[in-house]
Amino acid sequence: MDLSSILNASLIYATFRSATPIIYAALCASLTQQADILNIGTEGIMLTGAFAAVAISYTTGSWVLAIIVAMLAGLLMAAIMAVANIKYGADICAIGMGINMFAIAITKFLMTSVFGMRGTFSNPDIVAIPRVVIPGLESIPFLNEVFNGWALTEWFVIVFIVLMWFLLFKTKWGLHLRSVGQYPMAAQTAGINVTSMKYQAILISGLIGGLAGAHLSLGYSRLFTENMTNNRGFMGVAAMFFGNAHPVWTSVGCLVFGLTDSIGARLQAYGIAAQLVLMLPYIVTIVVLSISMVSKYYTKKRRQSSLLLIR
Amino acid sequence: MRKLIVALIISLVSVSSMFASGTNEKTVSEDSGKTRVCVVYTGNLGDKSYNDSCNIGSQRALEEFDIELKSLEGSTNDEWKSNLLSACEDGYDLVICAASNLQPYLEEFAPMYPDVKFAIIDTTVNEPNVQSISFAQNQGSFLAGAAAAMFTEKSDISGINDEAVIGWVGGMDIPVLQDFYTGYEQGAKYVNPNVTILKAFAGSWNDPLKGKELALAQYEQGADIVMNVASGTGPGILEAAKESGKYAIGVDLNQDNDQPGSVLTSMVKRVDTACYLTIKSVVEGTYKGGTTSYLTLADGGVSLTDFSVMRNALGDKFPEDIVEKCSVINDKIISGEIVVENYEGFGPSAN
Repeated sequence: MDLSSILNASLIYATFRSATPIIYAALCASLTQQADILNIGTEGIMLTGAFAAVAISYTTGSWVLAIIVAMLAGLLMAAIMAVANIKYGADICAIGMGINMFAIAITKFLMTSVFGMRGTFSNPDIVAIPRVVIPGLESIPFLNEVFNGWALTEWFVIVFIVLMWFLLFKTKWGLHLRSVGQYPMAAQTAGINVTSMKYQAILISGLIGGLAGAHLSLGYSRLFTENMTNNRGFMGVAAMFFGNAHPVWTSVGCLVFGLTDSIGARLQAYGIAAQLVLMLPYIVTIVVLSISMVSKYYTKKRRQSSLLLIR
Repeated sequence: MRKLIVALIISLVSVSSMFASGTNEKTVSEDSGKTRVCVVYTGNLGDKSYNDSCNIGSQRALEEFDIELKSLEGSTNDEWKSNLLSACEDGYDLVICAASNLQPYLEEFAPMYPDVKFAIIDTTVNEPNVQSISFAQNQGSFLAGAAAAMFTEKSDISGINDEAVIGWVGGMDIPVLQDFYTGYEQGAKYVNPNVTILKAFAGSWNDPLKGKELALAQYEQGADIVMNVASGTGPGILEAAKESGKYAIGVDLNQDNDQPGSVLTSMVKRVDTACYLTIKSVVEGTYKGGTTSYLTLADGGVSLTDFSVMRNALGDKFPEDIVEKCSVINDKIISGEIVVENYEGFGPSAN
């Protein structure tokens, strides 16, 4: 086996490419997690966004409009979740799974009834999110291979991670949101409208989930397939747990998934059993979650012992 | 009022979730005396590949004969099993299992429903009420492999590098696909013994993004042309070819026009003929359970397309010698001069 054909410059972009949809999904889950709401519905929100993006891009020919409508579609799905959970006290996991099943069904239904297509929705009229070609980079072999030709949304995710971090940790709104998540009663005593904050968290999360979907169907590819998210939303939720809902660490978790996926794709070509390679992302998920759980346990234990000392 | 809204949301979610199980096309009522046919798919229609090919056959039968047709789609093992069981329970005259993934379930259910006529495509089930139809996909893939190995040497065509590396991406790692690969590998080595073949499985019949990622990885590892045998995962592979300026080979249906200029040829497998002939045999009363048929290159069961889309796209640069060589190999396989190997458990003798 030739190691240089596995670990080369193209692996860097491949890692980032397959991680990006998961990063968007993980950020969608992180925002609600900061308000102590587990967004299981990420998968469904993303799928709806992916369909809306392709449908609008196909009918209007505008990728900008497609992204906007995809985000609104995500918002709509999130709104169902928010009302059911906050107003009527439905269990968030149950309603989240409901949203996931609903998304598979409604996208399939609309694809068949409105567009008369089955299975896969691909058409030359679908306008993809443009790819960024940096002039002058072609002459530098390594950098050209790594950085040229990224989709716009792939560059934007970097900005977005920083933006999320700033929003959560450097603004008053972020502080309010986190306090609602950590100790709602204290937040309420301090005069924060807990219900309103929770609504805001879920709705904004819906916008991000819609963007995740738009990137999946128009940035990562240029088609829509039934259930095209294929558990990427759930992997985002797992990465969110790994990163403890911190945007930067969560994204690192996603990159680990992306790296295993890309190395796996390259290993398969060299006769390593497909079943083993296809297991890799899931093994990594379990390992990564175990590590984060163990470290959380010790942090908690350390905090407890220091409290005992004060007494 | 509140309760009403909650009830409304719950019913909305559950009613529309029923669409997910994918039932459709019940054309007429049950007591019409027509022959009732049900096709169970492993995957979804609209894959522009295997399942659509089967559907073309059943739609043709629907036009020509007085039958009632139902198609059941599903993307996971448990959906396939429950779809097959519900087809058995529903009293159809003929239940067609469209793909080999259904084999274990058919072996379980066929003895339990002795009055139902079954057919399975792509594999063999030895039960008195099952008709099995298999294809010599190894022969068709031999041609595809030979074409790919010749094409990767044409470094004057844009996107082709100097290395003799070709790729192959499959949907799920099942024996039928190994039979495809066996032929592909032998065909490629027949033309050029030193060619390197990269092989990968997506683990799914409907994850085009995974397929795209695998194909891109193989292109980055030096492959110029990748054959897809992946049903709904395939569109991603063809898209990867288009996007990176490389080439692909289609499968099952003629996929040359799916990404024109990026698909060299397609290995066509006449699943539509198999499906159509089975329905015809039941309608005409010639159906015989417990039989197996094996459709080869000689019968037209498998074949390569005529390269015409690629010829138009490349113009003068189109390598005519590949077409000529392929037709020579084609004749040699039919005459028996070239014996294409089978994966264990396949081939005419396996029946």
